[in-house]
Amino acid sequence: MKPHRDRLFFTLLFFASLPLVLLVVLPLAKMLTQPGWTELWESIRDPQVLGALARSMGTSLGAALICILFGTPLAYLLARKSFPGKRAVEGIVDLPIMIPHPVIGIAVLSLAGRHHPLGRALQEIGVQVMGTYTGIVTVLVFVGLPFYVNTVKAGFEAVPTRLEKASRSLGAGMAATFLRVTLPLTWTQIVLGTIMCTARAISEFGAVVIVAYHPMTAPVLIYERFTAYGLRYSQSVCFWLIAVSFLLFVSMRLVSRVRTVET
Amino acid sequence: MIEIRDLTVQVPGFRLESIGLEAGASDIFALIGPTGSGKSLLLEAVAGLVPVQGGRVRIQGEDVTGLPPEKRRLGLVYQDQSLFPHLSVRDNIHYGVRYHGLDAATRRDRFEHLVRRLELEQILERSTIRLSGGEKQRVALARALMLQPRALLLDEPLSALDPVFRDDIRVLLRSLHQELGIPFVLVSHNFSEVLFLAGRGAVLRDGVLEQSGPIRDLFERPATPFCARFVGMKNLVPCTVEQGRARLGDVTVRLPGADVREGRGTLGLRPEDIVLVEDGDRSCDHVLRARISAMEGQGFYFRVSLSLEPGGLSLSAFWTRQVVDRHRLQPNDLVRIGFSSRCLHAIYE
Repeated sequence: MKPHRDRLFFTLLFFASLPLVLLVVLPLAKMLTQPGWTELWESIRDPQVLGALARSMGTSLGAALICILFGTPLAYLLARKSFPGKRAVEGIVDLPIMIPHPVIGIAVLSLAGRHHPLGRALQEIGVQVMGTYTGIVTVLVFVGLPFYVNTVKAGFEAVPTRLEKASRSLGAGMAATFLRVTLPLTWTQIVLGTIMCTARAISEFGAVVIVAYHPMTAPVLIYERFTAYGLRYSQSVCFWLIAVSFLLFVSMRLVSRVRTVET
Repeated sequence: MIEIRDLTVQVPGFRLESIGLEAGASDIFALIGPTGSGKSLLLEAVAGLVPVQGGRVRIQGEDVTGLPPEKRRLGLVYQDQSLFPHLSVRDNIHYGVRYHGLDAATRRDRFEHLVRRLELEQILERSTIRLSGGEKQRVALARALMLQPRALLLDEPLSALDPVFRDDIRVLLRSLHQELGIPFVLVSHNFSEVLFLAGRGAVLRDGVLEQSGPIRDLFERPATPFCARFVGMKNLVPCTVEQGRARLGDVTVRLPGADVREGRGTLGLRPEDIVLVEDGDRSCDHVLRARISAMEGQGFYFRVSLSLEPGGLSLSAFWTRQVVDRHRLQPNDLVRIGFSSRCLHAIYE
C-alpha cells in the first residue's frame, strides 16, 4: 500500500472513532467546567458530601479487599485447572456484568430478608443487610468481582506453567511456588484488578440504592440532590466523584505502563 | 541410575504406553522422536510433574513414583530455560537452596564453584531478562546443579540457542556430565547434538517406545522402518534375505554377519554411506552403475537422487559440494556408486 493511501486509511479511522470519544468527553467536560470555584469549595466542605465520598471510597476499598481475599484463589483455579463445570463457574463470574444492577440489589435483599433461612440466620447473629455498610459492601463485591477475577485470571494465565514446574523441580512445594513465583509475577495484574474493582464499585448506584439509601454513598447523594434540588446542586458532587474516579484511573494507567516497560 | 518400568501416562488427547528405559550414571541418554511423540511428557513424568497411571520410576534405586517433584532431587532444564524473570541471576541460582537444608559453607562453596565453572561472575546481579541465550542456559544449569541433583533432565536445552552458543553449551554439557557422574536425560530434535552428546537413547512414536539402545544403533541399526526413516536412513528397499544375501535392484549384496537372518524385510542404507566411485577405487564392497536423476543443493551438501542401471531402483545419496564440483556432476550423468557391506542394514518383518 502506498504511503498516501496509508494516511487516507488512518484519517478515515480517526474520523470514525471521533464521535464515540466526543460522546464521552463532551458531557464530562461540560459537567466539570459548569460548577464555579465557590460551589466546589462549599461542596467539598459540606459534611454530607465528604461523608458520602468517604463512604463510597471506604466501602469500595472494602469490597476490593474481599475480592482480593476470595477472588485471587478463584482466579488462580480458573487459570490453571480444568474441572467439570469450569465454564459454568466462568459464566457465573461474568453474570454481574450482564444483570441490571437494581436486580442485584433486590436479589441480595431477597436472600438477606427474614423470608429466607439465610437472612433469618444472619439476623439472629446480628448481621443486618438492609440500610447498612454490610449491605453496601455485599452488592459492591457482587458488581466488582468480575472485573477483579477476570483481570487477575489473565495475569495468572500469562505466567508460563514451566516457571512453576521449574520451581517445583528445585524443591518448592505448590504453595511456595505460588507465593515465590506466580504471585510476584502477577502482582501488577492484582493491582490493576483491585483498581478496576474499586473504580466500578465507587460508581455503583443501582444496586446500592435498593440495599441502602442510607447511609448515603456519593452516587446516591448525587441522585438525591438532582431529584430534590436540580442539576446545579448535583453537579459539584459529580465533580468530586469524577475527581476521585479520575485519580483511580490515572493510577491504573500508570501501573499498566510500568508493567509494559518491565516486560 | 534412572530406571523406568512400564510407565503409563494419560493426559487429555495423548497416552504414553508402558515405557521401559534405563539410564546409568555414565549415560547421557537421548530421547528422540517426532514432534508430539511424548518425549517431553516422559521427561516431566520422570520429574513428577504429571501424574502417572501405571509403572514405576526409580532414581538411584529409590522408588520415586509416588513422590511430588520437589522431593525427587532431579534437575530440570527447559529449552526456554524458565528462569524466574523477577529475580536476579544470583537469586535464581539460590532459589532452591532453602528447601535442601544446605549449611552456609556448603552453599557458598557450591555457589562459588558453579559461578566459576559456568563463567557467571560478570552477570550475577543482572536481571535474567537481559541475558543472551547462552548466558540464560548457563544460569539454568547452575540453578539446577546448585542442588546436586541425582540426575539432570534436559528438555531440548540447545534448540533455542544461536549456533555459536549451541556449540559452547553442548561442549559444556559433555564436560559437566563427565565431572558430575550422574545420568543426563536429553530430549532433542537435533541429530548432530544427539550423536555428539549421547551414548544411549530411545526413539518414541505416538507415545510408544519404538527402540532403545546405544545411540549408534539407533542411527545405523534401526529396529523398524519408522525408526529408519526418522533417523534419516532414506534408502529403504523391500527385500528377501537368503543365505546372507539380498537383492538390491538387479544386484545381489552380501549383508554384514551380525544382521543376517533368513526372511523378508526391508534393506536400509544411509545416503551418507553411498559414495561416488572413481576409477581404480577398490574400497567399496559393492559398486553399481546409476544415473543422476536430480540434484538438490542443501548448503554444503547436495542431495543426489540416483536411478540404478539397469533396474531403475531409486536411491538417495548425500555428497559434498566439493565432490559435485570436482566431478562436474549434472543431472542425467551416468556414475559409478559404491558402499560397503557393513553399511547395509536389514529390518526383518
